[in-house]
Amino acid sequence: MNHDINIKKLRINCFRQSKVPGEFMLQMRCPGGMIDAKYLSFVQHIAETWGDGSFHIGTRQSLDFCGIKYEDIPAVNAYIRTYIDEIENGVCQVGMEVDEHGYPTIGARNITACIGNHHCICGNINTFELARKIEPLIFPSHYHIKINIAGCPNDCNKAHLCDFGIIGTAKIDYHPERCIGCGACVRACEHGATRVLELNADGRVEKDPCCCVGCAECVKACPAGAWTRRPEPFYRVILGGRTGRQTPRTGKVFLNWASEEVVLAVIGNWHKFSAWVMDYKPEYLHGGHLIDRAGYKKFKELILDGVELNPECLVAEDIYWHETEYRSNFNVKPMRMHHHAGPSNG
Amino acid sequence: MGYLIGKGEDAAFWAKLRQDYDIYAPKRFPKQGRFSDTDIIRYDRVESGAEIVFDEKSDYPAKEVLTPICQAILYFTEDEYRASKASQRPILLFMRPCDIHAMQHQEKIYLENGGVADLYYRRMRERVHIVLMECSEGWDTCFCVSMGTNRVEDYALAVRQTEQGLLFDVREDALKTYFAGQPAADFQPVFVEKNSVSVTVPEIADKELLLKLKEHPFWQQFNGRCESCGACTIACSTCTCFTTRDVIYGDNPAVGERRRVTSSCQVSGFDDMAGGISFRKDAASRMRYKMLHKFRDYKARFGDHHMCVGCGRCTDRCPQFISVTATLEKMAAAVAELSSASK
Ligand code: SF4
Ligand code: SF4
Ligand code: SF4
Ligand code: SF4
Ligand code: SF4
Repeated sequence: MNHDINIKKLRINCFRQSKVPGEFMLQMRCPGGMIDAKYLSFVQHIAETWGDGSFHIGTRQSLDFCGIKYEDIPAVNAYIRTYIDEIENGVCQVGMEVDEHGYPTIGARNITACIGNHHCICGNINTFELARKIEPLIFPSHYHIKINIAGCPNDCNKAHLCDFGIIGTAKIDYHPERCIGCGACVRACEHGATRVLELNADGRVEKDPCCCVGCAECVKACPAGAWTRRPEPFYRVILGGRTGRQTPRTGKVFLNWASEEVVLAVIGNWHKFSAWVMDYKPEYLHGGHLIDRAGYKKFKELILDGVELNPECLVAEDIYWHETEYRSNFNVKPMRMHHHAGPSNG
Repeated sequence: MGYLIGKGEDAAFWAKLRQDYDIYAPKRFPKQGRFSDTDIIRYDRVESGAEIVFDEKSDYPAKEVLTPICQAILYFTEDEYRASKASQRPILLFMRPCDIHAMQHQEKIYLENGGVADLYYRRMRERVHIVLMECSEGWDTCFCVSMGTNRVEDYALAVRQTEQGLLFDVREDALKTYFAGQPAADFQPVFVEKNSVSVTVPEIADKELLLKLKEHPFWQQFNGRCESCGACTIACSTCTCFTTRDVIYGDNPAVGERRRVTSSCQVSGFDDMAGGISFRKDAASRMRYKMLHKFRDYKARFGDHHMCVGCGRCTDRCPQFISVTATLEKMAAAVAELSSASK
């Protein structure tokens, strides 16, 4: 078949090129990986009407349909209008224009989340509700960002492997008047967390607060309710993790004990930061690379601009990532090949 | 004679009551549950009826008011000591029928067992005036009817929550003055007559059967299942075990305090003795000990009642979903099996 297709434009429209000429894979957003089950009838209809009858759960929790013919894309886009409107505007309050042309941009990737405390006994936060609050801050936008949300420091959702990993934590209060000195919390912390608890000679528990990860395993273990979570949730933000062909790396702690307001305000600055790095010309470039180009200190300055940190919040003064360099001295190259960050002069 | 304390018009009533009484009742502690965004309901001092949780069973029992998990009992300096002091103020303690029956068990252990009345229990008990909280249906883990603890005759006040406010039945004369001028209402508490679970505690006819039951393989299922955490006994309305702990002040070993701290037969180390002896080495034997203590040994010793009031809190709090009623049924089946085999 003789095709003349602008595949870059289609990619922005969330249709990805297939190895079969003229076929595409649609990726529908599913913020926080949680939708009403009723949308599964949409899924089935799309797959059976225009796709190859199968359906893939994307690695970023998108709903993916293979085998969609180029000619059918307008019909598919018209059909998913309701889904986009109900999820983006209804559930996530994005307030975007939705028409018969499908997704306006691929930009910010689908926000992923583990099931969190909607179900999980370990979860400290409602992960998909947070995803729904973040969605309007990053979508629709042409700037790329990958956000993974994990309900607790167990990090089932790999917050350590994306641009912004958000981990729900808890600040824990000790109520000595309820403690029977059984040591269950000490064992739980040692076995499943950071070994920061110790039973002292008085039968009381002492904690080395510096290294508590806020998982609340101690709360779960205590038979007497002597450890309790503070009512408000806290977050650890892990920055700059990524996979990839060049320099995959695990993210590092950027913020610890941040409040929800702080997390939302920081992410609210992402667009401004990306625009500055790319001189206001969005390219198909992943968020981590933008942080590399600007350097952590510049990133910190721009991303914290106007953000009022909660009193508990700690911020990394510097971050020392540890890349896997597939090619040694990856960064040592002629000056003309160096990337530029920020507005070009003139 | 009953009264209605109308919702929203009760501030003066509670203020007056508070002047003369400390009021303790089940209260909600938001987001302090075992899992995130879950609450805990436990006893605490309350200011008014609005703080009292009527429509859910408390996670922890009323006994926490009489015997706090941790209390200083005496203070020592060199060769002198003095008992801790306690308030004299009377307490209105809001309790469900099971909790009230449980208090009678506690009285037996603390005031009669061993021939010495425990000072710390007695001085708290003397302050308590019972406010019966009516249970209309109970909850799915309750089995008070089976244990004969669903009804209560003796109380100072009885209370029911309604749309309009709280209905009180006033039995104790001294409390009548607080209700003067309040609208009269026809109210007598009713009692739960049927639970969703019912159990029959097996009769263990003789010592021989008891010994066989102790060896029965069904107990083994609790090894690997029960975590020996003690949550069941801490939440138990009738458990009374405690340990004492001396706390030294600063670097002077001659000055300090002695505390009484709740303890549990389910926690490993509870029965460790000098010389490295311990009686119950695994979860199965600890469970066996608890079950037989609750449903045989206590009654064998004290005569009239089993040491369980069917409140079901142990089932509610067990993180491993070990149900006391299901365990009791398994025990009953083992007893039946052993009895028929020996015939
Ligand atoms: S990250 Fe934590 S909350 Fe999320 S699924 Fe894993 S254990 Fe549960
Ligand atoms: S919250 Fe802190 S103290 Fe508790 S188990 Fe986790 S790391 Fe240990
Ligand atoms: S688990 Fe609870 S009761 Fe046991 S030592 Fe820890 S805080 Fe105290
Ligand atoms: S054994 Fe269970 S049901 Fe019985 S009194 Fe104790 S907590 Fe209540
Ligand atoms: S029965 Fe349940 S609550 Fe009791 S010790 Fe075992 S695991 Fe803990």
